[in-house]
Amino acid sequence: MRKLLALVLASLMLVGLLAGCGGDNGSTGGDDTIKLGWMGSLTGDQAAYGTCESQTLKLLVEKKNAEGGILGKQIELICYDTKGDAQEAVNVAKRLCAQDKVCGIIGPNASGQCIAIQSVLNEYHISDMSTVATNEKVTVQDGVLQEYNFRVCFLDPEQGRIAGTFVYDNLGFDKVAILYDVNDDYGQGLKDNFVKVFEGKGGTIVAEEKYNGGDADFTAQLTTIRDSGAQLIFTPIFYQDFIMIHKQARTLGMDLPMLGGDGCASEVLFDAAEAVDGSYVINHVSLVDPSTESWRQEYGARWNGAKMELNGYMAYDAFLTWCAAVEKAGSADAEAIAKAYTEIEVTGITGTIKLDPATHNPVGKSGVVEQIDGANRTYKFVASVAAG
Amino acid sequence: MEYYLQQLVNGICLGGMYALMSVGYSLVYSIMNFSNFAHGGVIMVGAYVGYFALTALGCPFLVTFLLCGLGSGILAIIIERLVYSPLRKRHAPSLYFIISAMGASIFLENFVIAVIDGTPRNYPEIFNQYIHIGNLSLGYDSLLMIIVTAVSLLLLMFIIQKTKIGLAIRACSYNEKAATLMGINGDLVIFVIFLMGGVLAGFAGMLYGMRFIVKPTIGLITNKSFVAAVFGGLGSLPGAILGSVLLGIMEIFVASWNSAYRDLFVYALLIIVLVVKPSGLMGKITEDKA
Repeated sequence: MRKLLALVLASLMLVGLLAGCGGDNGSTGGDDTIKLGWMGSLTGDQAAYGTCESQTLKLLVEKKNAEGGILGKQIELICYDTKGDAQEAVNVAKRLCAQDKVCGIIGPNASGQCIAIQSVLNEYHISDMSTVATNEKVTVQDGVLQEYNFRVCFLDPEQGRIAGTFVYDNLGFDKVAILYDVNDDYGQGLKDNFVKVFEGKGGTIVAEEKYNGGDADFTAQLTTIRDSGAQLIFTPIFYQDFIMIHKQARTLGMDLPMLGGDGCASEVLFDAAEAVDGSYVINHVSLVDPSTESWRQEYGARWNGAKMELNGYMAYDAFLTWCAAVEKAGSADAEAIAKAYTEIEVTGITGTIKLDPATHNPVGKSGVVEQIDGANRTYKFVASVAAG
Repeated sequence: MEYYLQQLVNGICLGGMYALMSVGYSLVYSIMNFSNFAHGGVIMVGAYVGYFALTALGCPFLVTFLLCGLGSGILAIIIERLVYSPLRKRHAPSLYFIISAMGASIFLENFVIAVIDGTPRNYPEIFNQYIHIGNLSLGYDSLLMIIVTAVSLLLLMFIIQKTKIGLAIRACSYNEKAATLMGINGDLVIFVIFLMGGVLAGFAGMLYGMRFIVKPTIGLITNKSFVAAVFGGLGSLPGAILGSVLLGIMEIFVASWNSAYRDLFVYALLIIVLVVKPSGLMGKITEDKA
């Protein structure tokens, strides 16, 4: 009986392994190629983000190979789906490290998965460059630097600083109300840093209102804010609550603009285009910036007119950084590439990328603030603000 | 002063929505002596009917509104026929009804997730405008909510107090067994109360969707409307309405003081009412009813 069970389990494992081999290999090659791994959500809730990242990388690798590759070798891109699941990310990371023996990994597109694969990276001494993982713990856990984790995006708390600077310096407002979800770490972090910067500059928080995630009625808090004399409401929350709060504020006769973090930037906002009109959101890069228009065109032309998500810009910079690190290292040695990451400076599409050796986070990145244009259902670029 | 007045208006709006929902709980309880937790699911489906009627079918507002009532009314009757009716025939204890009701509620939630999806949806923007009375602001949606709530509750009270079927319902609520012995059709009474509760649930769902959002788990607010029904006295219609409006106002004032305490307050109230005065503000005195 036990033998039978073992046999069944073994064959199940084999099937799983074979199924996993459906990974998308750019081209097949031997030792004369340099292998780059990518992992992220190609299916599941965040499929749109992951798909955009992998398509961006495929396009970039094709271009780079056509120009002669890197260090005289062709790049081989190996992409795997994490299904948006942390456990699956660990499996995929093992496959990339042990089986495919890549010299570096880009992705996955969520902090939770990046944190999950840390032990695998440490075991195989292979580095990962995260695209949009903004949680602090991705590169530094409880004060300990994760040697093989890097990223090209700014961190959650830095967004709070961007917000504080923008409101005080760019908008010239000194009275601000805050409305946030007390059960959410992301919002809490943003809020604390916003307050620190904003009050440091001389601004006043005239009302700090809270709610519990899942609440639908915000009229009590909004009425308090209405009477507080605030010039703007800072809302470090996610887009669905952002919409509900706007709707209720408008029916209370409040025309105040609000400022949301990157959790608010979404096409869904235009479901309530009239209500959210005139408010602001922070993002990593402007999705309507004319200077990146040619890149969007190129991407659309290659992928049947697909619209580029934020992830496309971040994957672009992750790839540039990886290329620079390989050149600096002068070989496809994973350890040398990991070391090279903190020794280079790259001018990417989202600004200059220079990684701090102490934290593996980019230094001096900026965020952009965009205003919602409800009538035309689009965003208007307002300002670029330093995160540091 | 204006500040408190505005908060009072906010509270009445919230309470009005609770009232539309809580009468459904109370109606069923008054006859069948159990808490129909499937009611929350019926409200949620009403909100979805409204969403698809407005976006996919492009129905005018009034038609949508009636469709919501109709959809939820039919669903409430289907649930009664499929779930409660067999239990009634077997004279099952109340506990069985409550458990089945919870099952039906979770079923509806998962049914919607499976058939549609779990993504929250936003109603098209119909009522962004508001009117000013002095410094008071009243959104068109709030105004509509108050009007719909008042009209439908008055109509409901009229049916219960002045019509023949209303008399039958009242008779059954005193003593169902005696009433049926006197020739009242118990099945018809139950059909009517589920229909009425369902139609109001549909209206409530639509109003909820317009003001907030549509998603399979809108349970939080329907749970609070159940608390309102208990607070007012389960089984009593005027009690449910009074309890709802009072709960809405109190909740808003607690939230305006410190929003972290709002749910704490609501559920503490539930416990206190059950411990100190289980019959609520206006309920009948019962010990054996769940």
